[in-house]
Amino acid sequence: MGGAVAPPMQRNMTDKSRRDFLQKSAQGMAVAATGGLIWSFLVRQEAKANPAAIRPPGALVEADFNATCIKCGQCVRACPYDTLDLATAGQDIPIGTPYFFPRDIPCYMCPDIPCKVACPTGALRADLSDIADSRMGLAVIDMENCLSWQGLRCEVCHRECPLRDKAIGIETHPRQISKHAMFVPIVHSDACTGCGICEKACPTEKAAIRVVPAELVQGKIGEHYRLGWKIDTPITQEFKPADDRPAAQDDAAPGEAPGLDYLNEGSF
Amino acid sequence: MSITRRDFMKSTVAASAAAAVGIPISQIAKAEVAEAEKDWQWDKAVCRFCGVGCGIMCATKDGRIVATKGDPDAPVNRGLNCIKGYFNGKILYGKDRLTQPLMRMTDGKFDKQGKFAPVTWDQAFDEMEKQFRRAHGELGPAGVSIIGSGQYTVQEGYVAAKFMKAGVRSNNIDPNARHCMASAVAAFIQTFGIDEPSGNYDDIEYTDTAVLWGANMAECHPILWSRITDRKLSHPDMKLVNLSTFGNMSSSVADLEIIFKPNTDLAIQNYIAREIVHRDAVNWDFVNKHCVFATGPYDIGYGMRNTDKFAHDAEKDIQAKENAVVLDEAEAVAQRRKAGETVEQKNAGGAGKHWQISYDDFKTAVEPYTLDFVAELSKGDPDESLDDFKVKLKQLADWFIDDQRKLVSFWTMGFNQHQRGTWVNEQCYMNHLLLGKQAQPGNGAFSLTGQPSACGTAREVGTFAHRLPADMVVANPKHRERSEKLWKLPAKTINPKVGSHIVKIMRDLEDGNIKFAWVQVNNPFQATANANHWIEAARKSDNFIVCSDPYPTVSAKVADLILPSAMIFEKWGAYGNAERRTQMWREQVPPPGQARSDVWQVLEFSKRFTVKDFWGEQKLPGLKADGFEDGKLPDVIAAARDMGYSPDDNMYKVLFATPANTKVAWPDPVAKGHDNHTVVALGENWFPEKALFEEYAEFGRGHEHDLAPFDVYYRDDVRGLKWPVVDGKETPWRFNGEYDPYVPKGEKFAFYGKALKAIPKGNLDGVTDPNKTAHTDKAKIFFRPYAAPVEQPDKNYDLWYCTGRVLEHWHTGTMTRRVPELHRAVPTATLFMHPADAQSRNMQRKDVVWIESRRGKIKAVLETQGRDRMPKGYVFLPFFDEGVFANKIALDATCPISKETDYKKCAVKVYKA
Repeated sequence: MGGAVAPPMQRNMTDKSRRDFLQKSAQGMAVAATGGLIWSFLVRQEAKANPAAIRPPGALVEADFNATCIKCGQCVRACPYDTLDLATAGQDIPIGTPYFFPRDIPCYMCPDIPCKVACPTGALRADLSDIADSRMGLAVIDMENCLSWQGLRCEVCHRECPLRDKAIGIETHPRQISKHAMFVPIVHSDACTGCGICEKACPTEKAAIRVVPAELVQGKIGEHYRLGWKIDTPITQEFKPADDRPAAQDDAAPGEAPGLDYLNEGSF
Repeated sequence: MSITRRDFMKSTVAASAAAAVGIPISQIAKAEVAEAEKDWQWDKAVCRFCGVGCGIMCATKDGRIVATKGDPDAPVNRGLNCIKGYFNGKILYGKDRLTQPLMRMTDGKFDKQGKFAPVTWDQAFDEMEKQFRRAHGELGPAGVSIIGSGQYTVQEGYVAAKFMKAGVRSNNIDPNARHCMASAVAAFIQTFGIDEPSGNYDDIEYTDTAVLWGANMAECHPILWSRITDRKLSHPDMKLVNLSTFGNMSSSVADLEIIFKPNTDLAIQNYIAREIVHRDAVNWDFVNKHCVFATGPYDIGYGMRNTDKFAHDAEKDIQAKENAVVLDEAEAVAQRRKAGETVEQKNAGGAGKHWQISYDDFKTAVEPYTLDFVAELSKGDPDESLDDFKVKLKQLADWFIDDQRKLVSFWTMGFNQHQRGTWVNEQCYMNHLLLGKQAQPGNGAFSLTGQPSACGTAREVGTFAHRLPADMVVANPKHRERSEKLWKLPAKTINPKVGSHIVKIMRDLEDGNIKFAWVQVNNPFQATANANHWIEAARKSDNFIVCSDPYPTVSAKVADLILPSAMIFEKWGAYGNAERRTQMWREQVPPPGQARSDVWQVLEFSKRFTVKDFWGEQKLPGLKADGFEDGKLPDVIAAARDMGYSPDDNMYKVLFATPANTKVAWPDPVAKGHDNHTVVALGENWFPEKALFEEYAEFGRGHEHDLAPFDVYYRDDVRGLKWPVVDGKETPWRFNGEYDPYVPKGEKFAFYGKALKAIPKGNLDGVTDPNKTAHTDKAKIFFRPYAAPVEQPDKNYDLWYCTGRVLEHWHTGTMTRRVPELHRAVPTATLFMHPADAQSRNMQRKDVVWIESRRGKIKAVLETQGRDRMPKGYVFLPFFDEGVFANKIALDATCPISKETDYKKCAVKVYKA
């Protein structure tokens, strides 16, 4: 029965023509780019490359990717969901390179990763074998506009996440003003691939969960510290002194002891 | 809204403090209203979707809903909504909203094979009347039908039921609630003699154990799930058990997840009962005073057709089991019979009969259900060890039996959509009653409802084939007499023969026994299992299908005439939720185009028929009842004349615009300026929704179903009331002397329902003394055995198949799929499968696959990750998506007592498309 709503997106139901057109025009740009004027234009474009571009699975780090991608469009052609596009002039993305906007069409995480298979240069890493290991970006939540963070029972992102409970988990908190719990989604960067299915599915007017390149948003705690409740490292039972202990500083020259400057100079 | 984060934090703290001392939250959170919103008008309403019954507020401007919010003062949801509820304001505005009647036409005339074309309401009703008269003339009252709804407003259900039962004298009105709650109803009536739960949602905050039996509350009762989770967060000893046939979202908060094989919940319940007996944990004070033991026949069939006349070849092996079954090993043990024995299903026609047994009989009956037997039979995840599973079952029994522990059982479709749905519901009461954990705050077996007014309308109004308002039934002469009196009908107007339930209406269409069906507020041609049969029957037979709906649904497409209906906020109405809370709303905005309320449609159609059309002698094949000639309804026209009716009086005047009702004037101050398009379209000056509500309420007042006066529900300080409302007070816990005015003074408990209280005596094999004893004020503790599912995976169809809901979509998706955001969130139904099952079939996630059963095949996208975690050998497919027609392949076996379809288990194979 045909309904009023769009049929489900299925991998053997895609329309190739639009993609072919985009691809050809982008290839045309790449070919023309050997000429002087356009070449410099393109170089400028690359120099201003938008670090927010979301790349196909297995893409090398942005600089290496831009250096390795030959803009052939094979990955775009291989994607069964029409997810990928090649950047065109006017976008803040190097012309001819593949990217996607998850809110339009996310990466559906094909187990056989056809885009990567199609890549002739390794710009999409050939050794990516499990799509769950890809890192296209990182989902981040706008807590102020996320319905679940306000207490509504939404959590669409969590239920739609192909790596539910690994990439997006739910934490429950009491809601202070009534006898209802809050179910707040939390993204776990160790598992989030940046596929963007959450961003696509988010039912708010503007997505309250979005995929961005991890380096734009992800912090890092100091190497010198470990979160005690997250990593269990029990007290070492048999302590082995280091072989290469620092030598005692008996032979320090008089007058060069650390701290003397501070102790001896200045007034109170 | 300009409200700073600090203000918000402050108001949250203030609201928290206010809530603690009982001040309405809405009076605390006074955010500054933006200039643009100053002329928005807010009014209270109810969420359109599930049976939880969340209160919402609607804002309107210039005849449109511009916003909604969760009602902060609604005790159910305190301002919250789920993601469906969040979109209440958008469901009215789908692009393909129907605004005029559409009829299949060729050359300007109705033609069943024609194309839909717009017609006027007059043309629509003219053809409808003609077709109704044709079916009625040929087949009598049994040849016409209404397929109703658990989403009817109270008034819609009431006018449809009264039109059919009092006017047409046909009991062929049955709601989609049959697919949803019928097993719960049958068990309530058989156990307590009265329908609907004893407790209320506050049980959640009083209990310290919640056991889910086939209820994925996390998705299907989202806001109650917030309350259960909050209880778990705030009460350290709270335990939560999720019993399910696969790992669903509700497992995430559970302390114990028990994955069992389909139908073995019957065995698990009996294991708990056996433990109660063996550990000497029966609460004898409670049981002796308030309960009797009972059982019934086991050979009751599976609610399928008993003939293979219409079965396709592939269906015949399963259909044959309706008449005789060979017992498997487990059934043999469970029923104390021999494996391999062929059992004729002799009681398929009398599945509901039951008799009293002794406690010794009960003990003997539960004896086979040892931990070893039940664990072996019921373990549903092949990857779980039997020992681990036994530990879980034992833990469950421990929590049940712990006398320091309060315990609530919750269930919905896992129990209700079950080939032994009535049994498994009754087993739940069995354990709660044995332990005396029933009808007290925090203690009780609580049947959750699926639809927004399955309780308030389908059940309380009685839009079922066997029911009358306020728990009365057509088969009971005293109930007919009382109804005839209240409805001012001549004696013997009401038809005593139970009509066709919804599945049978479909079968009757196929048989040619029904030739007119009017679909109201539901989508039965997508929602009924084994759908290919019914779609073919509707399209290819000599019948006429009318579908009233706001949107072009599968059922509309199947129909011959489509009537455009007003939606929830475009009409006056009332819904009753799962905790007996009746809530009302006003018409907020006008319906679009020529769309009209279902109340108007029934009232207007009733004008076309007179007393002499229906109240003369009518043939009724199969009717046998005391005081009635076989096969006939008597002529009551003369008696009607004595009551002042003329044979030419139309049914509108006789049934609806009665002298009493027309005194209830419109306009009415309760409207506070709100409109009523039903009144305008009728061209009247009486207020049908109010008059008919008051008329209906008379059935229940003084009869354990008291509703408050209409106007009370519209008071600004009222957020629905839990019936019975006696002397202005709601009843939080029924059957409990502390709370329920119907419990005789001085009694702690009284299960005072009046139905089926007098039963014969017998033993486990049958009745020994047919003399009936009345067990007034007592509940029955039923023994019900394990029975194997009628269709199970085999070499060819090697997987279990189950259908159900997702949080984002409501039922068949006709409203939620028209909300772009919800459609984007979950655009299509995907088939959930264990990754190893996919691998062994050379498939991977996102493949398009065929799902094939004996009844047909459908295509879906495969998913092995994400939302649901399937055990090996088991697949799940949501039914909201008409593009992935889940019910085409589902089996139409039903509980033989309740006639509710089992959508949760049949056999399929899955292969790459």
